[in-house]
Amino acid sequence: MTELLQQLLNGLSLGAIYALIALGYTLVYGVLRFINFAHSEVFMVGAFVGCYIGRLAGAVTWWSGLAALASAMLVCGVLGFVIEKIAYRPLRGAPVLNVLITAIGVSLFLQYGGQLVFGATPRTFPPLFPETRVSLGSLDISTNQLIVIVVTTVLLVGLQLIVKHTRIGTAMRAVALNPKAAQLVGVNTNTVFSFTFVLGSALAGAGGVLYAMNYPSIDPLMGVMPGLKAFVAAILGGIGSIPGAALGGLILGAAETLVGGSAFSTYKDAIAFGLLILILLVRPAGLLGRATVEKV
Amino acid sequence: MSRQHAALLAALAASIAVSAFGGSINAYFLDVAMTAGIAIVMAVSLNLINGHTGLFSLGHAGFMAIGAYLSAAVTLFVGPHLVGPSPSVITTQFIFLAALITGGLTAAFAGFIIGLPSLRLKGDYLALVTLGFGEIVRVVFQNIPALGGALGLNGIPPLTTFAWIYGSVAVTVFTISCLVNSTYGRGWLATRDNEIAARSIGLNTTRYKITAFAIGAFFAGVAGGLFAHLRMTIDPRGFDFSRSIEIILMVILGGMGNTLGVILAAILLTLLPEILRPVAEYRMVLYSLLLIVLMLVRPQGLLNVRFGKQSKV
Amino acid sequence: MPAPLLQLDQATLRFGGLTAVNGVDLSLTAGGLHGLIGPNGAGKTTLFNLITGVYAASSGTLTFDGKSLDGLRPDQIAALGIARTFQNIRLFPGLSVFDNVRVACNLHRATSPVHALLRGKTFRADEAAIAARVDELLALFNLERFREKPATSLPYGEQRRLEIVRALATRPRLLLLDEPAAGMNPSEKEDLIRLIREIHTRFNLTILLVEHSMRVVMTLSQHITVLDYGVKIAEGTPSEIQSNPKVIEAYLGEATTSFTQS
Repeated sequence: MTELLQQLLNGLSLGAIYALIALGYTLVYGVLRFINFAHSEVFMVGAFVGCYIGRLAGAVTWWSGLAALASAMLVCGVLGFVIEKIAYRPLRGAPVLNVLITAIGVSLFLQYGGQLVFGATPRTFPPLFPETRVSLGSLDISTNQLIVIVVTTVLLVGLQLIVKHTRIGTAMRAVALNPKAAQLVGVNTNTVFSFTFVLGSALAGAGGVLYAMNYPSIDPLMGVMPGLKAFVAAILGGIGSIPGAALGGLILGAAETLVGGSAFSTYKDAIAFGLLILILLVRPAGLLGRATVEKV
Repeated sequence: MSRQHAALLAALAASIAVSAFGGSINAYFLDVAMTAGIAIVMAVSLNLINGHTGLFSLGHAGFMAIGAYLSAAVTLFVGPHLVGPSPSVITTQFIFLAALITGGLTAAFAGFIIGLPSLRLKGDYLALVTLGFGEIVRVVFQNIPALGGALGLNGIPPLTTFAWIYGSVAVTVFTISCLVNSTYGRGWLATRDNEIAARSIGLNTTRYKITAFAIGAFFAGVAGGLFAHLRMTIDPRGFDFSRSIEIILMVILGGMGNTLGVILAAILLTLLPEILRPVAEYRMVLYSLLLIVLMLVRPQGLLNVRFGKQSKV
Repeated sequence: MPAPLLQLDQATLRFGGLTAVNGVDLSLTAGGLHGLIGPNGAGKTTLFNLITGVYAASSGTLTFDGKSLDGLRPDQIAALGIARTFQNIRLFPGLSVFDNVRVACNLHRATSPVHALLRGKTFRADEAAIAARVDELLALFNLERFREKPATSLPYGEQRRLEIVRALATRPRLLLLDEPAAGMNPSEKEDLIRLIREIHTRFNLTILLVEHSMRVVMTLSQHITVLDYGVKIAEGTPSEIQSNPKVIEAYLGEATTSFTQS
């Protein structure tokens, strides 16, 4: 039983990271209606920025750690803005298939471009925060894992506040529900799209740093699998739903950790895809999503 | 005899002739040509699914993997069990044919199983399911020790020849072209262009989609079998997402739904890595840039010669 | 009195809180030409979608030639003999004019796909028969000169006619026309009226016509049903409908208009 609870605790930390990345996917899909395949590479860039700042900082303190996290979020936010401007905005109005292919192109470009720039060999991610293990009764958890959970919760709450209580957040929700109507009431959709991308990418950047803190080996292709899995999490929870992304991330993190600790551990990577196929067959709208009806 | 049958027989004859009498052809060129032939089969089969029927399938390499492993299993394990250790040349050819067909049919069955529940999903969701399928196939084969597991399967008999490859190319192109150009086959294009209208004229669009999936998967499985018996060793990582992307690039470059364009694109994208060998590390970067630029500038492909708007998802 | 070809009994369709079609009764006798009118948003196209299986009815029954349409897919309903055109034209842009009609001949194809690979005499004869039929239909509608052109390159009026041709290629018994006169000028409307009359008799069709153009509807229809907010508010001959105060009120809110203009 303790073993199970310990696994679940580990799964919580992994799930929190998936949730952060999933939030970026779900924001973009909800507002812009397409799967941003390049999101996983923004996550990767976040990890690399965190690595760079961490090395630069020298000492390992709470402040240097926060600085690394903030820098990653900043850089990734800018990256997201640039990608949207250059690769996706010119395709506004084109068939969704074309945008999807472009997104795949951007994703591959960042992966293999990253290999050219950083080299393909993995590098070690430096410790960012002072690390100890904390005991919770018979369970134990590292401070890094705790930081993941705390940071994710803070960011999630912050996101909900932005979306529910700011003007830009309301504009995002309006565009997600009906882009034309939003324009007619004076919402600048370009601003909303850019903002959505910046927000989602910043979250991915944070996800990259938090992931690398717990799995300290980074390389330019590291984003592919976590990115895919996070997207599954977003679909699981209901694409377009913020609480859904969080829920999906947690479920996936827990499922994957449990399988990883079981006899079927080599199938760990396939769990995400199995869940994906299952949810798409049984309830395509996701656990917390709403089905839409097409007008004939 | 119809024109199409005549062309098929001519192509088969030519392929056999090259294999039989082309001993003096440079081995490197021959290898590139054979690689191109396998690529053509993969691209034309994916074109049926993505181009003609308008589905977004991102896991075509998964079908290739199934064909590769299943056909190798037949020639390595089943064949010798049935006919002993030293079969005649003719028997070996029959076993190879059986292996290729087994690989194709298993892949087609997988296509059917995956297609059945997924084809009512919207475009981007279907893309994900197919992507997930491709990954699951890879993980599954990685976990079968009898087929080599993560280390790959070696010692596959080198049964693939120019004749087998270009014979398969001829059969693939013949089959898919004849079907697509028939009144029945127009139903695929109608399903792609406007599914609601297609249903209103009596087309069972779900059945059309599943059929496209199964036929496309069959030929991808055959291509996988040819590949396995050419390279003599296969491993799960060779059938990953980037392999699927290479094929998709061929279909897009050639103009989705344009068979001739796709054939040319397959040849071009097989030659390109050879030409780019000096700068091999830039290859994927260039491919990805090509994808982006194509979509921004000329989404209907470079090599296509047909009319009509790009299909909507 | 022969049994009606199409019978709707209290057909109802609810989308969550919105009732788009509310207890509609409709009875079409075979060979009739029936109009369906009502203000925008009255539920006319939704009713078409109900009949053709795009939506499943929330309650009520729909019967065609004695068979229930409950639970049938749109392609199954087309196979029973119901064809339609669409309010926003839905042609196949990647296909030529010829192929747009040819693909609709699949319902009555005599050979299987395998024959396309064997390419024997039966296959070639079948394809030739289909081609002949398509050409005949195109000629009837004066579209044969556009045969090889992409369907969406046609002028608007021709595209609407092409949609009707495509529907006819499925050999329907009941034809649902959704605003075929939309966007047409008066002389095109006269051509359309002639055309619909002609196919009505030549192909022995039962026609249900949704139209906003009062000229077209009143001239062609033997009987008219009027919908408003998903409810049937009136039914009768054109002259009865034109003088029905409820109908006039539904359109304009007051009894002042005449229904003889366009």
